[in-house]
Amino acid sequence: MLFAGFFTTSCVAVKEYEKAQLNAEDMGLSAKSICRFETNMHIYREGAAGANGGKMGGGCGCN
Amino acid sequence: MVVKWEAVVVVIKYNNTHYKRLFCCCLVFLVSATLLGQTKAGTPLKNGKDKGYVKKVLDQIEVETLFSYYIQDGQNAAVTGGEGTEFLTDTSSTLVIRIPINENDVLSIDTGLSAYTSASSSNVNPFDQQNGVASPWVASSGASSADVLAYFNPSYTHSSEDRNTVYTASLAASQEYDYQSFGFGLGLAKLYNEKNTEISLLSKVYFDAHKPQYPIELRGGFFDNNMRGSGTYAPLFNGFSQLKRNTYALSLSFSQIISSRLQGAIFIDAVMQEGLLSSPLQRVYFADRPDFFVGDFQLADQVETLPFYRYKYPIGGRLNYYFNDWVMVRSYARYYMDSWGMQGLTAELELPITISPSFSLYPNYRFYQQTAADYFFEKEVATSQETFYTSDYDLSAFTSHQYGMGLRYKDIFASAKLWRIGLKAVDLRYSHYSRSNGLVANISSLGFLFVVD
Repeated sequence: MLFAGFFTTSCVAVKEYEKAQLNAEDMGLSAKSICRFETNMHIYREGAAGANGGKMGGGCGCN
Repeated sequence: MVVKWEAVVVVIKYNNTHYKRLFCCCLVFLVSATLLGQTKAGTPLKNGKDKGYVKKVLDQIEVETLFSYYIQDGQNAAVTGGEGTEFLTDTSSTLVIRIPINENDVLSIDTGLSAYTSASSSNVNPFDQQNGVASPWVASSGASSADVLAYFNPSYTHSSEDRNTVYTASLAASQEYDYQSFGFGLGLAKLYNEKNTEISLLSKVYFDAHKPQYPIELRGGFFDNNMRGSGTYAPLFNGFSQLKRNTYALSLSFSQIISSRLQGAIFIDAVMQEGLLSSPLQRVYFADRPDFFVGDFQLADQVETLPFYRYKYPIGGRLNYYFNDWVMVRSYARYYMDSWGMQGLTAELELPITISPSFSLYPNYRFYQQTAADYFFEKEVATSQETFYTSDYDLSAFTSHQYGMGLRYKDIFASAKLWRIGLKAVDLRYSHYSRSNGLVANISSLGFLFVVD
């Protein structure tokens, strides 16, 4: 539902000077560096992986 | 300033001495790159034409060091066919250096080591214990009880002068005792609509190879006077002839600013894997084969055998909302399906809370649920008539919950300096993870971000 709304929201562009809050470090859309070890752990311990900007392959994950 | 680079060829071999050499080579490379890779913003371009001040994509060299300690325990070790200790510890250290080459280009080096001890892996050979009886519930003392993973992932990013196009090229190499991987990737990102919309495409290819370590009883010439069972121990095992594994991954992402407080992204991956997708050290016990024991340890009937191909289709999305100057909301959701019959759902929520200009807290929760792979069987459930089988509980049906808390200290002026190196941020994070099948894990991470003047 949220993502349906996401595509259909206003076409008016937010100007650069209005992006101060969006530019806050914690508003970034990529995974945070400090979370990389947790993401690796999930790749090893769970069957699902990907679609999170993390590792997509390489490594056996057998432990 | 003309930038010159020296190539460092890293040769990886199979012992700790070479890991040390690898690490030293990486350090030499990184230090050289740091010293040579410095330019000043706004300087005339080398063809003599001064285009005026161009803001650099990255102003200063950034050095990030990350450490983690992970510990888990459970009772469904795959190496011992789905029953046995899963006790494991892992200590990781990572160094990430981002170097501005010029106004538009950034070189990143991501390298590190991960050292683990694994009770289940130790039972590849459970009969090398100096004391006691062999058992899937007791760690063994042999070489397979510990290993080191080393990796080296450089990448190069070029941004167009209008910052609306970003090209990325990357390499990835990793090595552990029984596995090595080499990969490369190419990416393109385009920004539209006054940088409100971004579409990016990333492709990665990995060429991996196993050096299989089979359970000791399946290697030629195994015999033990204390073997118990009816008849003659005759496992079905033949060994794998195909030892390579290739991965081809395509990742499409679409991000959109929705309002001055809300933005989101959708990620769609398509991943194809081919080759040896089984782990050669993971035992399987069949229901229709007689059982043989040495001590308390049941000898394998076979090792995990999985299809040659696997196709994965995850789709995920992030939505971040700036509630006010004190609280933000970061959310993530993902649906996953693959050609082995698995489906997974992931949901994450984090609430960054600003408690002062320098300190923030990050309470977070993650929910995950998956269905079992078509080829998953509990111990002694699969029959030898099946084509594919595994007792790896990472491929079983389960639900997991993860709770965590993070703390971040930041100093945007990096006022704490040592020579030319300023401390910009410190991150501390702890998470507790529990699975419905009994596996419990704890992970602590510590990160430092430095900038170099």
